[in-house]
Amino acid sequence: MRSSYATLRKLLHAVLLGLLGAGIVHIVVLLLVPEFSERDAWSRLSTASDLYRMTRLDAEAGGAPVVKSVDPLFYATACRFDLGEGLVRIKAPGHVPFWSVSVYDRSGHNIYSFNDHTANDGVLDAVVLTPAQMIDVRKDLPEDLQGAIFVEAPIEEGIFVIRTFVPDDSWKPIVSSFLEKSSCELQDF
Amino acid sequence: MLKNALLTLLSLVIAIGGGGGSVWYALKAQDGVGAIRIGQWTAFPDIGTPAADPYSKARVAREGVLALGRAEGLSFVAERDSGGGELKRECTYTIEGGFPTARFWTLYAADQSLGVVETGKPRLAALQSYGVVRQPDNSVIISASDHPMPGNWLLTGGFGRMYFVLTFYDTPIASSTGLSDVSLPRILKVGCNA
Repeated sequence: MRSSYATLRKLLHAVLLGLLGAGIVHIVVLLLVPEFSERDAWSRLSTASDLYRMTRLDAEAGGAPVVKSVDPLFYATACRFDLGEGLVRIKAPGHVPFWSVSVYDRSGHNIYSFNDHTANDGVLDAVVLTPAQMIDVRKDLPEDLQGAIFVEAPIEEGIFVIRTFVPDDSWKPIVSSFLEKSSCELQDF
Repeated sequence: MLKNALLTLLSLVIAIGGGGGSVWYALKAQDGVGAIRIGQWTAFPDIGTPAADPYSKARVAREGVLALGRAEGLSFVAERDSGGGELKRECTYTIEGGFPTARFWTLYAADQSLGVVETGKPRLAALQSYGVVRQPDNSVIISASDHPMPGNWLLTGGFGRMYFVLTFYDTPIASSTGLSDVSLPRILKVGCNA
């Protein structure tokens, strides 16, 4: 009788210890998921293309049960960059009904976003750089960078996304060519 | 001795299984932390920002989401109608009411993964605010159905669960202060194909 009581107590002890452990494991796993995920946006893009190469996102299929990045009435393109190598300049010629851009860090967090109302004349011309590079650029601003929007981002690796609205089918070729002509270049400075 | 080993094993199984399983479950649930509910519509304004909670961050990493920025827009997802029933692809719904201030909005019928539903027809299962007919009071009435409807027709089709995704672009409601007094359209069930 006494021994079975002791066994039961030990069992309860083990279960409680297990539940406490489950709580700790829950927190640890939750915090480690972003570090070790191989399915995040950066990893998906890196299998599709190289750094500084614009990649269309709208043709890309893939399950994302929360809020997907791409609306069916939108076209989008993205490029990965590494500010450790220098500043990156993103340009797209021409006009479309609406465009918006976002800068994401390595783990897919939105650092900065703006749309065509922010830009000078509605033309997409942006430079992404670190605060340290910004100090250097400010000292002597090159002529051709004067109309650009400067995005100061305290990151090294990141993703730049351009989203454009396609109101109806007749806009498809125009919006497509806007994105095809967009460039993502490492800028010498 | 063997009993002690078994008890240790039990503790470890509960810890690792329970811990891992609960994370997996929490990341799969549509609701979750940081959600804002307005009527039937749910939005995650903080998702994809550095200020997001750990659950949103893990979800972003797991699913490869590149969430819309504050200057871009804000998405709302509806999974139930005003009566509380799950949205079904074989049913007809009326979405009616006023829409908050935005440069424009888009509405589409989505499947489980929140991609647009495949109807097998050239018409996209999506509408946008430049292409809708408005009522005299500027509200909009949209009929979502698998057969043509008068007025604003959102094509759906097929069978199974459906979601509506309503996205506002270049909108003041995306900033945190704007969300408190926003009202969104109602989703009313009209009927279902048997």
